[in-house]
Formats: sequence, structure tokens, C-alpha cells
Amino acid sequence: MALKLNRRTFLVGVGGGVAVSLPVLDCMLDDNGNRAEAQTGSAPSRYAVLFGGQALGGDNWAEDNYMVGGARTTETGHFIAPAETGAGYTMTTPLEPLAMLRDDFSIVTNMAIPFNASDASAGAVPAGGAYRDFHGGGKSPLLSGTRSTEASFSCNGPTSDQVIADMHDGDTTFRHLVMRAQVPFYLSGYDHSGRQYLSYRTGGRSGRIEAQTSPRNAYLSLFTGFVPDDGAAAARLDFELRARRSVLDLVSAKRDRVLARVGRADQIRLERHFDEIRALELRIASIPPIATGECQMLPDPGADPSVGSDNSGAGSGDITGGTGYSNEHDRARVMCDLIHMAFVCDLTRVATLQITAFQSHMSVLPVSTDFGYPAYADLHELGHNGDTNNRGQFHVSMMLQWHISHYAYLMQKLKDTPEGAGSVLDNSALVFTTEAGHGRQLNDGSSPNATHSVENMAMLLGGHAGGLVTGQHVRTSGAHPVQALITAMQAAGYTGDSLGEVTGNIPELMG
Amino acid sequence: MVVKQDRRGFRGGALVARAFVTLAVITFVAVSMGACVSSLIEANDDGSGTPTRPPGTVGPVTADFASESGARRLTNHELDNTVRDLLGDDRRPATTVLLADQFAPFDNDYPTQMASEALITSLEIFATDVAGSVFADTARRDALVPCAPTGPDDTACFRAFIEDFAPKAFRRPITEEEVTAYLALQAFSVEDIAEVDNDFYTGIELVVRAILMDPEFLYRIEVGTPTERDGVFALDGYEVASRMSYFLWATTPDAALLAEAASGDLDTADGRRAAATRMLSDPRAQGQIRRFHTMWLGYRVLPHDTDLVANFEMETGALIDRVVFEEPQDYLNLFNFDETYLNTALATHYGLPAPDGGEGWVPYGDSGRAGILSHGTVLSAFAKFADTSPTQRGILIRSRLMCQQIPSPPPTVDVDAEPVGAEGACKYERYAAHRERSGCAGCHNEMDPIGFGLENYDMAGRFREHDDGRPECVITGDGNLPGGGTFNGPAELGQQLVDQGYIESCVMEQFYSFAIGRSAKGVEAAAVEELLAEFTSSGHDFTSLITSFVASPRFAHRREEAL
Repeated sequence: MALKLNRRTFLVGVGGGVAVSLPVLDCMLDDNGNRAEAQTGSAPSRYAVLFGGQALGGDNWAEDNYMVGGARTTETGHFIAPAETGAGYTMTTPLEPLAMLRDDFSIVTNMAIPFNASDASAGAVPAGGAYRDFHGGGKSPLLSGTRSTEASFSCNGPTSDQVIADMHDGDTTFRHLVMRAQVPFYLSGYDHSGRQYLSYRTGGRSGRIEAQTSPRNAYLSLFTGFVPDDGAAAARLDFELRARRSVLDLVSAKRDRVLARVGRADQIRLERHFDEIRALELRIASIPPIATGECQMLPDPGADPSVGSDNSGAGSGDITGGTGYSNEHDRARVMCDLIHMAFVCDLTRVATLQITAFQSHMSVLPVSTDFGYPAYADLHELGHNGDTNNRGQFHVSMMLQWHISHYAYLMQKLKDTPEGAGSVLDNSALVFTTEAGHGRQLNDGSSPNATHSVENMAMLLGGHAGGLVTGQHVRTSGAHPVQALITAMQAAGYTGDSLGEVTGNIPELMG
Repeated sequence: MVVKQDRRGFRGGALVARAFVTLAVITFVAVSMGACVSSLIEANDDGSGTPTRPPGTVGPVTADFASESGARRLTNHELDNTVRDLLGDDRRPATTVLLADQFAPFDNDYPTQMASEALITSLEIFATDVAGSVFADTARRDALVPCAPTGPDDTACFRAFIEDFAPKAFRRPITEEEVTAYLALQAFSVEDIAEVDNDFYTGIELVVRAILMDPEFLYRIEVGTPTERDGVFALDGYEVASRMSYFLWATTPDAALLAEAASGDLDTADGRRAAATRMLSDPRAQGQIRRFHTMWLGYRVLPHDTDLVANFEMETGALIDRVVFEEPQDYLNLFNFDETYLNTALATHYGLPAPDGGEGWVPYGDSGRAGILSHGTVLSAFAKFADTSPTQRGILIRSRLMCQQIPSPPPTVDVDAEPVGAEGACKYERYAAHRERSGCAGCHNEMDPIGFGLENYDMAGRFREHDDGRPECVITGDGNLPGGGTFNGPAELGQQLVDQGYIESCVMEQFYSFAIGRSAKGVEAAAVEELLAEFTSSGHDFTSLITSFVASPRFAHRREEAL
């Protein structure tokens, strides 16, 4: 099989055709009517993290090696890290969706989370480091800069998005948008068990933030409060909003009576429920957003795509299709639409989108069929074993490209939306990260070209907030990936220089 | 040493069953187990993994009088059943609109629940959607509202609705204060705004929405009244009714049960026994017992096409129904039953004789199969690497049927890597490192030999002579239940598990966890022992066990949770 694969752009149209063509107003109001900010050109900074639950390469396949359709091939350019550093580097396969946006982001590569190669015990984990069981062990240091000491999918400190959300707390109706496109875990007999959390307000179980997985629910919560132009519709909306508040008031009014009856453990449980009811009431009662300028009511996305059942197979190579997929593609797209407009309308300034879960078992068959090279595997197995005929770098990179296509889609929309003298992207810092790199295996500490690796990691930092330097490929000498997060956080206005146990940024990208 | 049920870990939560071994087998297990497998009862409850007692000794031998209970939110399954029975909404809206429940392995594990912004946002959408669907349908609306309003301001009818609906929804009588609070929503019925098409039912719909979002509806909050025992509370009749209903039916109490709560019948053991007997004759009880098995044995969702899955579920459901309900008999027969319920397609799939008339019971004969372990449901569960996994099947048997705790492998082991061997090695050889390498063998020899005894059955439950596509790799099907003996195939394994007393004790432990909505704790071994004694004395009659459990004082009391 003579196969010279094009590094074709997956999903043509990602770059163009998505612009919202709305009149540009000289003055842009946010939902609080905060005119001054926009007029002085100091629009609020926004921060988002998009996440893909995969590694950067395939197990035991070097960066240039792969098999497609049963044919082994060696070809450069598919691994995410470009060959050249600085500006003007050659785009790699995963980056193709960003081809039109190359001056709007930088790629940081060759990062690593530290681990103790000679001692796998919990006590030996270095600061900001990873416990030596990859799945689970890599999560806390990656997202919170705080070391893990067991193989649990948790974080031991707040995640970057929540540090930024704290900065803006109370400034917007929504403290954050926390969403996940992948719905079930898809592996028969198992459950997410912590793999579904990306945001932590504090470390540990009580600090984790449940993601909204329904695009429709997310849409309704963000966009039902808009004041319609039509007077009659406005009257009906006012009636409905008052009705909602009265209903929630009735529930809230029971708080003291219910809590007084129960023991302390139940009080803690139910307080949390009542607190969230009250928070919802306050969101409904906040000054309603007004569609003006670029801030517009989004059309109803309609019913959510149906939720797929668990995979029709137990591992690699035997997925037969029709399962393991809930149209995560469309779900992620709608969620990007929501993040975009929520940023534009200043409904929130912080968002996370977990496109796929940690150790994702989403079937790659639908997406890989779309890009022309079907692989009968789930995302997790694609990295480890692929299917019988498809394994190694190419397919991993194509799925990475799919993840990045959502990042590019969001970035393009923000770029196409004017704000002040520039665009919303000028006031945004957008991070894309994967779960793993492609280096020494964390578990045994030695096997090369492993997906279970916290070495050879990469992140994308997009947008121009804070003068973030874009258009660059920075190949670090083993920087901690959290240093890339800190860079984006600082671009978004964070004045600290550490996250968890990690300090410092990527100096080349600080404007 | 192993910590108790680890909800946080990679291999905890969904994979490892709620597990500890009861008194009946503890001595045997302590002798037979290697360093690997342990029972929860040995573990320190502080989660440190440091044993507080030497293996083989047990904690309290006297059962605590009551089990701890906390407020538990209705699962999506329960909520869907509840709005079906209360409001005639059979669309399963909770499953569609709300975030998925976690299965650990049961979905009703209340310590895993935590309210969140996403939950509350979704619940409001759920409540609005469900109430809206009722009042968009005149027939359903009229069935729900017990009077014909004379106009938007018909307060008597508004009040009549509240007095009729709210007690059903809250599963208890309501106070005048509560009625008055809901009456305030009639303002939205009478408000006169030209653009708004509101009427009497507008306010009624809001009452439904408010109740559907109310923690006293969404949670089962048990309070009770103090007893002379410190920290122990006696549940009132309504709290007992809710316990019974969600335990036996996974839904809200019906009118008869609420009437029995009101009359005080449920305050007595005989009253509860009678009510439970009635409830067990309802198809909803059959559904609930089937569902308990799907979660317990891990075949809730199967990795096959929908037709095959439906056939598997029909087969296993029929056996459970027959053993538990239709021809009540020794429950342990579930594990060695000598015939199975098939249709032609499933008989063909298994290579078993086709049933007469296209569907019916087929004798297993000398096929090597017997009981539920021979079913495609169970044989499909816990596969890995596109094939059966002897290790995973061993874990299934150990954790779910023997109620033992399997520790996570050491962190340096990559469990996502398929066992490899020499080029062209057969599967048994590829697993050689598991049983030969020090550091692996200690645990894997407790699991893999069990799985290899089922290896003649593929991940869809079909018999096979050799590794898939490898005629030279003949599968012997020889297995070993460590501490037990050798076996070959699911019939012999099922019989061994029965004979050695694992099933009867372990099913009681799983059943107890499901009934109380959380993992059993080490100190609750004696409570499980109570159940086991009852189970044994009844000849393992499952419905008799259920009625006895419901009738017991434990079912009508709770202990305040320790923080």
C-alpha cells in the first residue's frame, strides 16, 4: 500500500464560515451595563481550558511510525511538535485546524511532570509530581500543579480555571461554565469514577465541580433570560422569570425548617442542595442580559444528541460501530458556541470544556470514519494497541486533530467577534491540553514511546490577552506543563506566579 | 493490606464490589487466602489500610440494632418511576435530562451523591419539562386535578389539588402551613396580563414544579423519633413506607401503602410483613430484583448488539423470576440450575437445542453449563483486550460472588498493556508472568486460575475449543478455586461456590448494601450475619428473606450517621 497521507484538514470549514456577522457597536455593554470597561478598551479577560483525554502518540510506536490499513509507514509531520521552533514552523497534523490561526496561538512542547524513577511509593513523589500509576496519577499535577500520591482521578488543589474564577467571583452572572462533551464512560461494567472531573475549586472530593453534560441544559441556563425585543414576548418572559423565582423561593423558604430536623451529616448534604437552589435564584434574579452588538441570543440547539451505549467490544480492534459515541462532535461544537457567546456577553469569564474524559473510551470509529481512515477502537485503546490494522502515530494524531478542531472553532469565533478596537480573542487566553504526552512510561519508569507518560507533553496557548506571545513554537527543556498554565493564567490577569507546587511561567511567551 | 471499598481509586468504585466477608466464611477465608485477597472486615475503617485486628478475628459479634442512614437522593431510575406513578409521565425524563448516576456498583449509593450547580440547573429544567408535559395533555391534567375549577381564582379547587397531590408526592401528610405556602402560587393563575395566556392551571403547574424541586421530594430524608438507645431513631410509618417502596419497587408508595402507614400497620412487624408480601406480587418487585442482579453481577450494560443483549437479559431475567418468584425455591439454585430459558436465536448462538415453540426452557444436559454463571450476561461482563480476561473474570468472582477485596496492582504495572509472551504464544502462556513472576503471582494466582476455568466460554458466552482463531491453542478449561479445588466450566464453579458457602453469605452482603444504599461497613458484619441466619433457616427463600428483613426492627429504625 503506497500511502502518502495528506495532512488533510479535518472538518473543512473550521477556519471559515463561522463568523457571526453582526453590526459592530462602538460601545459594548456587558450584562451588568458596565460601560466604562469596554469604552476604555480594557475589556475583561477570559480564560478557558479545553481538554482531550488522550496521549500524543501510540504505545511502542515512535513519533514517525504507524500502520494504516495494515500497511506500516514511516512519515514525519504527524507528531504534534513541529520540527522547527520559533515562528514560521511547519504545521503538524494535529495543528492543521489551526492553520488559519497560526498567529493567534503558540505551542509549547517537550514539557514533563516530574516523577521519581527509582521509587514508586507515594512518599517519593516530588513536588508537583506524579504518582507512578499513570491513569489517575497524572491528573492532579497536570491540572492543579499539586502532586498526586495515589492512582485516583482527583486533584489535590484548585485547578487553574478556578483560580481565575475566584478573581472574577461576583462580577458575572455565571462564575464559570464547566462542561463535558463525552457523556458515559462507555466501557462495559465500569464507570467514570473521577475521570469526568476537570475543575476543582479546592482539592479533593468536595471541591470538584460537576460538569454539565447536556448542551441543551447549558443553553437553557445561559440564554433563557435574554430580554426579547418584542414587547409581548418580553411580558411573557417577565412572567416566566417571576414564576421561576417564586417557585425557587418556596423551596428555599423551607431551608431552615428542613435543616433543623436532621442530623449534621444530612445538614451538610442538604445545605449544599439549598445553597445551589439559592444560587440559581440569584442567577435568575440578576440583571437580565440584553442582546446588543455582538452579544446575541443564540438559537435553541434543540434536543441533545442521543446518548450512546457502552462499546460493542471489550477493547481494541473489536468495536463494531453504533455504540460508544453520543455525537460528541456536535455536543462539543454547541458547547463551544455557548462558551463563545457567554464570553461575548460577559455572562462568564471562565470556561472549561472536557471534550473527552480522562482515559476516554469513546469509540473513535465515527470520527475516524469521517476523516477517511476508520479505526475499530476506542480512544484509549487507540493509543495503546489501535486496532488490528490501524495503530501508531497517524490515528492518534488524527484524533488529536479532532480535539483541536473544537479549540480552533472556538478560537475562530472569538477572533471573528469584534470587541473594542480588536476582537474578543484579543482579551482571551485559551488553553488546550491532553491527558498525556509520549515519553517514558510512568508506571515502569523506563519503557519509551509510551502513552502512559507525563513526558514529552504539549499545550496550546491561544488568544492575545495580556500580550501573550503567539505564533511561536517553544520547545522547552522539560518545563512543567503547569508553567504553561501559569503563563495563560497570567495573560488572563493572574498576578501570582504559581499554581499548587509549581512556580514560574514560560518566559518566551510573556509579552 | 487493603483498604476498604475505595471509591476514589482507579480500580475502586465501579470495579471492586462493596465487599467484606461475613462470619460464615471468615475463618475459612482467613486460612485459604494468600497475602493478596482480603476481606473488608479485616480492614481498618479509617481507610488507612492498617488492619486493626489480626486476620481471622472479627469485630462486634452482636449486631447493632439499627443501620446508619442518611438523606439519599432518588436515583434517576427511581425518579423516572416516581414521576411515572405520580404524574403519568412515562418518558423516563430524569434519565434524559439529569446527569448520570454513578454505579458503585449500585446506583443508589448515597455517599456518592453530591448536589452541584449542574444538578440543580438540570433539575429545574427537569421539573419544568415534566410539569409542562402534564398540563399540555388535558386528559392527564384532569386525571391529576381532583376538581373542575370554576375560574382562575377558584381557591377551593386549588387547595383541593394541593391537599391531594402534595401528600402523595412527599409520601407523608402535609401541614396547613405547607398548603398555604403553595396557595400563594395561585397569584400566577389570576394575574391579568394581556400578553400572557395564563389560567387556573398555570399556578397548579407551578405547584408541581415547586414540589419536583423540593428536597423533601427529591431526597428520602429519614428522621424518626429518639429511642432509649443512644443515636437510634424509630422511623414513623411514612418513613417506613418510603423505605419499603423504594426498596421493593424503586418508586413512590402507592395509596394502599400510604394508608397502611397512616393506620399504624407499618409500625408492627406483622403489618410490614403483610405489606411486603402484597408488594412482592407486583411486577415492579420482579423488575427491582432483576435490576439488583444486573448491577451486582455487572451486566447492566453489555458490549453486544441490542438483539443479543435483549436475548441475554430475557434469559437471565427468566431464571431470576422463576427461582425467586414463580417457583420459589432455594435461591442458590440460581447458580446450578439445570435448564435455561432460550429463544431459537439464543439457542443457536449457544449451540444448545432449540426450545419447543420458538421460546422456552431448555435442559443444559451434559453441556458443562448450569446456572446464571453460564449465561451470556455474566460471561460478557468483565472482558478486556477484545477477549475474555481470566484476570477480570477472577476479579468478578472474587469481588462480587465471594465478597473479597482485590487490591490494585502495584503502580508500576501497566494494566492497560495486554499480557505478552513469546511470539505466537497461546493465551495461557501469555499469562505465564502473572503466575510465575514474584510480585505478580501472589495476587494473580488468586484470580487467574478462576478465570481460566471459564476460558472455554468466550465473551459472548459461546463455547470454544481453542483460542479465538488459533486451533493449535487448545483451551483445557481447567480452573482452580484457590482454597476450594479444581473445576472446569461454569457449572462446576457455580456448584463449588454454593457448596463452600460463598454465595449465600456474599449475596446477603450485596443485598444488604443495596437495601441500605451504601457499602456495608466492617462493623456491620453482624447485621449481615443476621440476614444470613434468616436466609439459611428459610432454605434460602429469597422473598421470605425480604419479608423477614422488612419485618425486622432494623428496617424500622435508623442510626444517626457519624460524621
